[in-house]
Parts: sequence; structure tokens; C-alpha cells
Amino acid sequence: MARYIARRLIQAIPIIIGISIISFLIVYLSPGDPFDRFRSNKVSPEVIENLRRVYGLDQPLPVQFVKWFTAFWSFPWNPTAWGYSITDGLPVRDKIFERIPSTLQLMGVSLFFTVVIAIPIGILGAVRQYSWSDKIIMIVATIGYALPTFWLGIILKQIFAAQLDIFPLFGKYSFGKEGDVLDLAWHLALPVATLTVVGVAGWSRYMRASMLEVLRADYIRTARAKGLASSRVIFKHALRNALIPIVTLLGLTVPALLTGAAITEAVFTWPGLGGLGVSSVVDRDYPVVLAFVMMGGSMVIIGNLLADVLYAVVDPRIKY
Amino acid sequence: MEGAQSRPIPVLSESGVDEVDLTPVRTYWQLVRQRFVRHRLAVIAFFLLSFLVIASIAIPFLTGNAWAKTDLTLINKPPSLIAPFGYDHLGTNTFARLMKGLQTSLFIGLSAVTVIVVIGITVGSIAGFFGGWVDNALMRFVDIVLSIPTFFLIVMLVAFWGTGNVWVIIIAIGLTGWTTAARLVRAEFLSLREADFVQAARALGASDRRIVVRHMIPSALAPVVVAATLGIADSVVVEASLSFLGFGINPPEASLGNMLTGAQDFFYRNPLLAWYPGVTLVLVVLAASFLGDGLRDALDPRQRVEV
Repeated sequence: MARYIARRLIQAIPIIIGISIISFLIVYLSPGDPFDRFRSNKVSPEVIENLRRVYGLDQPLPVQFVKWFTAFWSFPWNPTAWGYSITDGLPVRDKIFERIPSTLQLMGVSLFFTVVIAIPIGILGAVRQYSWSDKIIMIVATIGYALPTFWLGIILKQIFAAQLDIFPLFGKYSFGKEGDVLDLAWHLALPVATLTVVGVAGWSRYMRASMLEVLRADYIRTARAKGLASSRVIFKHALRNALIPIVTLLGLTVPALLTGAAITEAVFTWPGLGGLGVSSVVDRDYPVVLAFVMMGGSMVIIGNLLADVLYAVVDPRIKY
Repeated sequence: MEGAQSRPIPVLSESGVDEVDLTPVRTYWQLVRQRFVRHRLAVIAFFLLSFLVIASIAIPFLTGNAWAKTDLTLINKPPSLIAPFGYDHLGTNTFARLMKGLQTSLFIGLSAVTVIVVIGITVGSIAGFFGGWVDNALMRFVDIVLSIPTFFLIVMLVAFWGTGNVWVIIIAIGLTGWTTAARLVRAEFLSLREADFVQAARALGASDRRIVVRHMIPSALAPVVVAATLGIADSVVVEASLSFLGFGINPPEASLGNMLTGAQDFFYRNPLLAWYPGVTLVLVVLAASFLGDGLRDALDPRQRVEV
């Protein structure tokens, strides 16, 4: 297993280099630069030239790339490894790290509710295939899956925050209540509900399909034939095998934990990574944009690896 | 091709007169239609989608600039005969604007899918046909594109190369979405390469170009058509999300996404404003995905998902 992980990590190196080259090219070959908005009659060209020199934008592209790429990986001990933000001059690493807890809270809580709700629904649908409850589950799940996240967010906000006034319209804490757990939960309710509805719609369909496949297996028929109670067959024999693909799905969700909620965060003005990513693009804050893409790409690679490793852990038939 | 094989074959009888084998033989396309019609939801989805496409072209055409005209005396007025969905916060006929927005969204969705299909087929067929290091290099490239968070990549491309430009949005969605199509075509090509009819074409001395374009691509299309139909839903949602965040189509131009952004400021005075574009969006997504499911069962029964 250790050798397998090592091999996969080595295979990831060219992909990481590829991601960095592509994102670097997109950023630096695009028309305009971060200092365009300073250009006016009142700012002398020398000031702009100075700024460009300070941020290293005057150097040839390959030089910039190599400098940036080699410094990038020293981030565990070097706070300025990802450079300085062009908007406020803060170290990019700290700007990004500061947002991680908010996004993890939002995505972690949503994922928890998604899994806890979707798995029983999927089991119910599969065990009672073609029954009324199954049909209703499938219809609701199909519609839920078709709901664009941001529209669902807007509608929940309209009903529960604007009209009924039960939940806050936006933000993470009420003014003066920073750090209050109850206040946090109150602010989390709507964004979590948004992500959970969409998540449950997808995951319950997946769980149902996986369970249906297992229920058709010979060993399930054997278990039933030898007279085991139906509940024992379902929960002891079928469920454990049906969960194997779900565990894989969990690994594939890892990148979304950090980058996936940009739109939900925008709807509810949640101070997470998504908002930082979007505003860095608007401001052409290149160092932040690049760090963001690299982090996202690395998370995808780690998530895929995690999915494969988890697969081998839960399924003894899989050997690497 | 299968259609050509199963057409009635003329038989020469002893009397010297052509006799035709009259047993009804169903062609490939008849089978496809039969399987598709059996999928009731897909048929409904097909008509719904056609209806939406026609309405989004015809209504803005018939009502001229009603979608853009503002009238301060009509702000937030309730529904009437000429404005079935009332008027919005600028006094614009919401229905007319919705249809114009739908037109923009569908245009972007369909064009982006076209870009996706063209790039996907090109990359996939080159990788699958040549194999070896070409295949390896292209598939590693697919891995790289897949590893960059897609939506963020689209936001970057659109923001840096032209916020609000329809063509930039189409290209950005296309450049990031072709990987699935490419993988599907490649997989088909790998098995088609060894197929008898391809070997036969090669034995007859057909050029690589002819084999790929005339023989292999048509046979590899079925899964791509299915993926493309499902891709319409994704593209329309991506466009709406972009417009919602302010990177896509900006007012005064209309799109389903920016109508939603506008509606957010009028939760109290005109709460239904958020529902019209949202429900329309959901209808498009649902219709495209049911149509995709139906096409999969009809065109490519091997891929059928048991439900």
C-alpha cells in the first residue's frame, strides 16, 4: 500500500506541473494586468512601472514561472511562499488559510447531513423498489438534482430569511456575537440546507443504485434462503457492501470541501474560500488566483488518491 | 450502417423477375425511434424543450424590444393579459424579458455543447485512432484539465478575457467541458479500431482520414450525443451561475442568471421575480436530462442504467 501511494504521488508530479503551467499561462497571457485600474492622469507611469517591478511582473514569463513554482512548495514553513496579495499586500498564504475554517465548517456540516439523510433514503428506495415511497423518493431526488444551487439558495433566503424572518439573510456571525456557537449555527442553517438538499438528491440516487446492485447478488439470495431476518440481510449483508462505492464518493468530495461552494458562499455572503477566489479574479490578484488554482488542483489529486485508498481499505478484494 | 445491412434484399427468382423479401425489417433508426417513444418522460421532455426553444425565439421576435423597455409607471405592476408575469423593478414586462433571457441561456448552452462535442470528438478520435504515445499524451492532458476546479477555471477565463461577452462564455465552457466527450470517443475508437468493417475499409486501401471521418466517427457518436444532451443542462446552469456572480451576461442584456441577481433586491416588494427565471431554469435542466436518458436508452442500449 505504501508503495502504491508513493507511486501515485510520483505520477501526480507531472499533473501538478501541467496545472501550474496552464493556470500561469491563462493568468499572464490574458489582456491587461492588475495595475490597469491605477492608470490615470494622476498616476505617473513610473509608479506603475515600480509596482510591476515590486511584484516581479517585469521579468520574462519563464523566469517568473520558475521563481513562483519553486517558492510555492515551501509554504509549510514559509508564510510568503505564495507571494503577496496585490490588493492588500498581505501574504497570500495567510489570506487563504484564514478562510479555510469557514469553508470547512459550511461544507463539513453539509456533508454530514447529506450522508446521514441520503443513506437511509437510498436504502429505503432500493429495498422497496417500485413502491410508492420509492417513486416519490426518485421524483423528489430527480427534481432536487436539477435545482441549481444558487437558485435554491435564493429561494430559501427569500422564504426563510426575508418573508418569515426566521434566519439571517447573510454572514457568519451577528454583529458583536463573533465566536458564539449558537449564532454560528443560526447563520449556518440556510447555506447548509441549500447544499444538503442538492447533496441528498445526488447521494440518495447513488446509494439506491448501489444497494439495488448488491441486493441482486447471489449471496443475498443465499442469506434470505437460509432464513435470516430481512433486517439482518439488509443491514448486515447488503448495506456493508453497498457502502463501498459511497466511501469512494466521499474521497471524491474532498476537493469540493474547499472549493465547491463558491456560489452558495456568494448567495449567503459566507466568508469562505469561494468568495476569496471570486474576488481575487475580479481584482486580478494574480498571486491569490494562482495559489487558489494550485490548491484546488492538489485537492483533486489528493481526493482521487484518497478515494482509491479508501476503496482498498473497505473492500478486502481490492489489492494494489 | 446497421440500417443498410437490414434493408430488404432483392432476390433473383427462377422466372428471372426480382422478388423482394417482404418480411418487415426494422432499420436501425426505426428501432431507435421505437425505443425512444417507449420512454414517456423523454418524449415529454423532447416536446417541452422544443416548446421552450420555439417560444424563446418567437416571443422576443414578435414583441420587439419589450424585453428591454423600462417604464417607471409600471414598476412591480401585477400580471395582466399582455404581461402574464407582471412587471419587474424597472417596469419591464417580466414575461418578455424571461423569454429573451431564456433565448440567451439556450443559445449559450447549445453553442457551448457544440464546442464541447467538436473538441471532444477531435481529441478523442486522435487519441483512440493513433494510440501509443499520442494517446498517452492526450490522456495526461485530459487528467490535467480534469484536475483544475472547473467552475473556477471558467470564471478565470471569462473574467480575464471578456466579462459579459457571449462568445467568451461559450468558449470558456467549451474549453473546460470536453474531457468526458473525449474519453467516450476514445473508448469507442479503441474497440472500433479492431472492428471488421474498419479492417475491411483499411484492406480496401481507404486513407486514415476516410476511415476516421466516414467509418469510425459515425459509429462512435451515440454516447457523445447522450453526453451532449446531458451537457446542455450543465452549460445552462454554468451560464446562469456566471451571470449571477456578475461575470456572465450583465444587464441591460437579459439572461436567466442575471434576472435572478436582480430579483434578490426585491424579495419584499415583488417576491415572484425570483421564481420565474428559476423555475424556467429547472425546467430546462429537467427536460435536458430526461431527453438525455431517453436518448441513451434509444441510441445506446448497452449503456442502459438499471433503475
